[in-house]
Amino acid sequence: MDLMRHSSAFLLPSIPDDGPPPTYALVVLNQRLPRFTPLVWKHAQLRLCADGGANRVYDEMPGLLADEDGNDVRNRYKPDAVKGDMDSVRTEVLEFYSNLGTKIVDESHDQDTTDLHKCIAFIRDFTPDLDKSNLCILVAGALGGRFDHEVGNINVLYRFSTMRIILLSDDCLIHLLPRTHHHEIHIQSSVEGPHCGLVPIGTPSGSTTTTGLQWDLNDTEMKFGGLISTSNIVKGDKITVQSDSDLLWTISIKKV
Amino acid sequence: MPGLLADEDGNDVRNRYKPDAVKGDMDSVRTEVLEFYSNLGTKIVDESHDQDTTDLHKCIAFIRDFTPDLDKSNLCILVAGALGGRFDHEVGNINVLYRFSTMRIILLSDDCLIHLLPRTHHHEIHIQSSVEGPHCGLVPIGTPSGSTTTTGLQWDLNDTEMKFGGLISTSNIVKGDKITVQSDSDLLWTISIKKV
Repeated sequence: MDLMRHSSAFLLPSIPDDGPPPTYALVVLNQRLPRFTPLVWKHAQLRLCADGGANRVYDEMPGLLADEDGNDVRNRYKPDAVKGDMDSVRTEVLEFYSNLGTKIVDESHDQDTTDLHKCIAFIRDFTPDLDKSNLCILVAGALGGRFDHEVGNINVLYRFSTMRIILLSDDCLIHLLPRTHHHEIHIQSSVEGPHCGLVPIGTPSGSTTTTGLQWDLNDTEMKFGGLISTSNIVKGDKITVQSDSDLLWTISIKKV
Repeated sequence: MPGLLADEDGNDVRNRYKPDAVKGDMDSVRTEVLEFYSNLGTKIVDESHDQDTTDLHKCIAFIRDFTPDLDKSNLCILVAGALGGRFDHEVGNINVLYRFSTMRIILLSDDCLIHLLPRTHHHEIHIQSSVEGPHCGLVPIGTPSGSTTTTGLQWDLNDTEMKFGGLISTSNIVKGDKITVQSDSDLLWTISIKKV
């Protein structure tokens, strides 16, 4: 079984120089922007807003960079594209970015998939200039708010399970650990942890084994209605996970 | 609580909105808050020895086992502040619904509510449209559902399979004032709460 390595280097002020860095793409959803959005924006090669996510960038980015001039921030933090069914983005926001050269991709005809799903598919299929050999898609504003939205976003991780997609909020991040690999998660303890968990959200797990957690699992069964690893603690700087089931990994993000 | 009742006197509010008990591992509650309520007669139940269950789990078990004066023939437990924040906390709270699946427990946030629809029953959900909806969803958390059938939704399910990685009913819409659901799997029902 192949090894898959994970790292939250994108939360660091500068990406460490220990191996080829991933290409980051950022998708902004329609929730209050996490306070580290300017940082991940800077690391990303491609920035997309999903529908009302454009309102969020327009309205809230100046507040996250309060030392800078608001108009200047709006002009600099310009998404490459705004995509979705366009039922939330304000007309003046769409015009503002369109005038700056942002691509507007109206998918209002497609009511079968969520805005996030459309954005991931767009990144996968319609971005020939983006180096996808080591692509990692960061999704800001993916959690909190309406639970059905949150679950829809989590389902996108499962539907695009061969792609690296990380859901981000102010409080934590979530990504998939596919059962097809064993996993090494490198903990950036200056920006994340110590609270973490492993969640068999779609299907029970007959056997999961971990190292590096306060309460490690050892060929342990996990399922809803029984044991789920929540309120766990990372002990060192490396966690390993091997499971017979797709699991969600979640870790808290530090408020500095 | 004083901020949510801004027209009233803050101290008066604090005295009136007195919990019957404060329970859990006590690693977050401030000492002066605990003393304030203890002096008003609130029961303090320190469970810091038990690190195997969440605070919500302890509270549900307390309600079930240690409240002889509470009529439990038609009990419904409402949980405020159950969603948002750390995802592992949220999932731990959702798991409590599954672990106490014979009890009615509703998780609440500003934006929505969630409760379990056990597979052992077919369900009628009466919609209070002045305060909830129209956005809703049905989620097969923990295990796939081979067959779910609904009425009353914009996109009804008809012996439909649902699972993570495939179809899950999210961003659905309630059409009338009654939804019915029947499934071979435990499902989570979620509906938006109106901001009035």
